[in-house]
Formats: sequence, C-alpha cells, structure tokens
Amino acid sequence: MPKKEERGKKIALVLFELVQDTMAAEEALKRAGYEIQAVAPPPEVRVGCDLALLIDATVQVGIERALREFAIPFIGVIFPKMIDLRPLDVLKEFDYGNWLMVRCGNMKVIFDKRTGVIVNISGGGCSDVPNLARSLMGKKLAEAPAPRTMGYSLCAYTCDKAYHRALEIWQQGRV
Amino acid sequence: MLVLAGTVPFKGLPLKQGVARFDDDFAIGDNFALPAAELMHCTTAMIATATIACRALGTDPPYAVIAGCLGEGDGSKLVYRFLAEQAEALQPKVLTLHYILPIRLAAEKFIESLRHWKNKPILIADAGGMYVMKPAGFAGDFDLMTPDPGEMAFLADPDAIHPAYVRHFISEVDLTAIPRLIKEAYEHHNAPRVLLVKGNTDYIVRDGEIVATVSEPDIPAMECIGGTGDTITGLVSALAYAGYDLVEAALYASRINRIAGLLTNPTPATRIAEIIRHIPAAIEQVLKGVEYVAA
Repeated sequence: MPKKEERGKKIALVLFELVQDTMAAEEALKRAGYEIQAVAPPPEVRVGCDLALLIDATVQVGIERALREFAIPFIGVIFPKMIDLRPLDVLKEFDYGNWLMVRCGNMKVIFDKRTGVIVNISGGGCSDVPNLARSLMGKKLAEAPAPRTMGYSLCAYTCDKAYHRALEIWQQGRV
Repeated sequence: MLVLAGTVPFKGLPLKQGVARFDDDFAIGDNFALPAAELMHCTTAMIATATIACRALGTDPPYAVIAGCLGEGDGSKLVYRFLAEQAEALQPKVLTLHYILPIRLAAEKFIESLRHWKNKPILIADAGGMYVMKPAGFAGDFDLMTPDPGEMAFLADPDAIHPAYVRHFISEVDLTAIPRLIKEAYEHHNAPRVLLVKGNTDYIVRDGEIVATVSEPDIPAMECIGGTGDTITGLVSALAYAGYDLVEAALYASRINRIAGLLTNPTPATRIAEIIRHIPAAIEQVLKGVEYVAA
C-alpha cells in the first residue's frame, strides 16, 4: 500500500488543470525559494494524467500571488486530510559501456558517454512521449530542449527529471 | 479486422484511418505516409510491425486509426471519440489501443459504448491505453496488456494513477518482484485475462497464473531502445488476429521480438526502425521452430 500521511491543515495542495502548468509552477516556485513537492492529487479530483503541488499551508497566499505573477493558471488550493506522498523523482543510472541510461520512473534517457549525444528515449505511454523522443534524440545533452518545455504529461515530467540528471552527470564529467 | 488505434506525434493531424501498408514507406490509407527509416517508437512502430507480421502470417493487413497529439489532448480525444462512436461499425476481431493521453471521461465513454457492442473484440492495451484503463477500473474489460516491470508495479498498486507514481521500482536482482506484482494486480482486479510482462525475462500470465517465461536470447541493449515494447504489441496483436490463442500469441511475440533484436545486433544507440527491418526473418525463424540464427 502506498504511504499516506495525515498532516492536519498545515499543508495544502495546489491543483492544476494541466501537468504542463504544474511543471512550470514547480520550476518557478522553487526558483522563488518555496519548498514544494510534486505529488498525486487525491482520487476525488483526478481527471486522468494529474500532478499537484504540495505546499506549506502557511504560505498559501504568497504562492497563489506568485503563480498569478508568473501567469501560471491553477484550479485552486485544497486542504486534504490524506496526502499521497509517492515520490516522482526516483532516479537510477545503468552503465552500458560507451552509453549511460538514466531512468526516472517509467522514462529512460540514454546518452553516449563519449559525445554527450542523446541516442535513445525509452519508456512511457502518454501521447507526448514520441514527440519528446523525436525532439531529443540525436542532440547533445547541453543543447537539447528540456522535456518540460515541450511535454504535457507525467511521462514528460519523469523524462525531464531523467534528462536533467543525465545533463548533470555529463556536465560534471562523471561518465 | 485487426484495428489498431493511437496517437502520432504530428501536431494538428486530424483523424486518419485506413488500411496500413509497409513497403518502402509506411502508410495508412491514401493520405498518411512516413519513410520506413523515420519510424519512431510509438503507435507508428506498433502499426508497422503488425503490418509486417500480418503479411508474414497470411492475414489481411491491419486497419489503423490515428490522430496527431503532442500531449495537449486534441488528437487523443479524436481517437477516443472514434472508438466510442464509430469503431463498432468496423466489426473488429482484435482492437488494440496504444499511445494516447489518459483522459478518464473519454475512456469511460468508450468502455460504456463497448459494453453494448454486438460482438466484443479481443481487446489489447499498451502504453497510454493501459495508463487510462487501469485507474478507471477497466483493466478487467481487456483481454491482454503488455506492461514492462514499472508498468506492472502500476497495475499491482491499487492507488497508482500513473506509472510515474509507483513508489518502489523493481530491483533488477529481485526475481520475486514480478510474480508478486502479478499476484497483487489480479487480487485487486486490475489486470486483463492475459498479461505479457516485458523485461529481462518476459512473463506470460493467464488469469493470474504464470504459464510461461522467456529469457533467451537476452539482449540487454534492447532496454535502451525506444520502441521494443511497441513492436511486441504489434506482434501480439497480429498473432491474435491470425487466430493464435492469446497465451500462444504472447509467447511467440516475445520470442520473435528477441530474435529480431538478435538479428539486428543492437547497441543502446540503435533505432527501432533497424529492428523492425528484421522482424520478417524473426517471424520465419520462430514460427518454423528454428533455434537462434544470428545475423
């Protein structure tokens, strides 16, 4: 069973219509210094491919203002008693000799350790995955567009995490 | 008729439907074509593979239904609507749902419609088709799904709404994990009649019982190659349409896919189009009972 934690009313969830908006909000709010976490929304408000942001309820007003300033649309803020805290950024690396595969969730980014070129994107099943693959494959990690700038789904979210870990490994010369 | 449905990564492409062809180019009907070398992993790789397999098996080619969707949902909605309102008229014997944005309400309309069809087809789901049907509670309406280990964990977890949310990922050395997850998926009624779990070892499951496993030939690079799961789905769809029992179809699909990989001699940089080229020879080897003959 997934771990669920009772947190009373000290935490809140910001809900978004599109995963794409959640991804943009996560990046903008983290850059603004807020401590937040991407989590699954509660079952009663899910519509399909969903991603919410867990926030400290005491800074709700500031976060709502920041989202409006960033022009990132959101549905609203709720205060559920139970939060599903499955992590979305479990990363793992696999060495294939001249290539390295970075997996996050159901998505995998594979790059050539000699050149930093992304050679394959594997996994996923949402409709933005083929476009992500087409846009990333054959490009150098440092020159490729970040998946979160093109994707709409949770597959894009985990692909983005894998891409950024791969980029970090490449830039730090840890290959 | 074998009907294959899903989205393709071409922005604004309206719903296209027609008989699939695979010669120098891959084509659907008269107004969608793609050079064979440009096949990417996704619905097109699945349809191309099924088309090749149907030819090798001596059946008529598949009928494909696609729409462009980069993830914003427009093309996915067109495909769901087609399935709910028009697919029955095609009288499919096998219907496979592939890449698509999970939109619960649209999926519910399709399943509600399907339950009133005069003849229910063999229903197969992979990718987004699986991602939308399981959390909506419709996995049991399907006859076959083809999850990888992470997706198997998603089917096993009654609360997971997407494979991205699965708490624990499968340890590569934990040989007990897949059988445990299979058991849990059936306990929670989140599995179809038959499962083909794709991985280092492929598991073929009927009604919760593992009836076969396939581990050889083992080609580790195939995990890196986007589309190796899509080719399995195309193969199993074509085999089911040719009349193979679903367990048998899954077993052959697993073997054919591995042999196609072996014939390609792939690296992690190999593209799926290269593997697809070897599928006719792989089908011939497997169906004739030839042991592995590498390129």
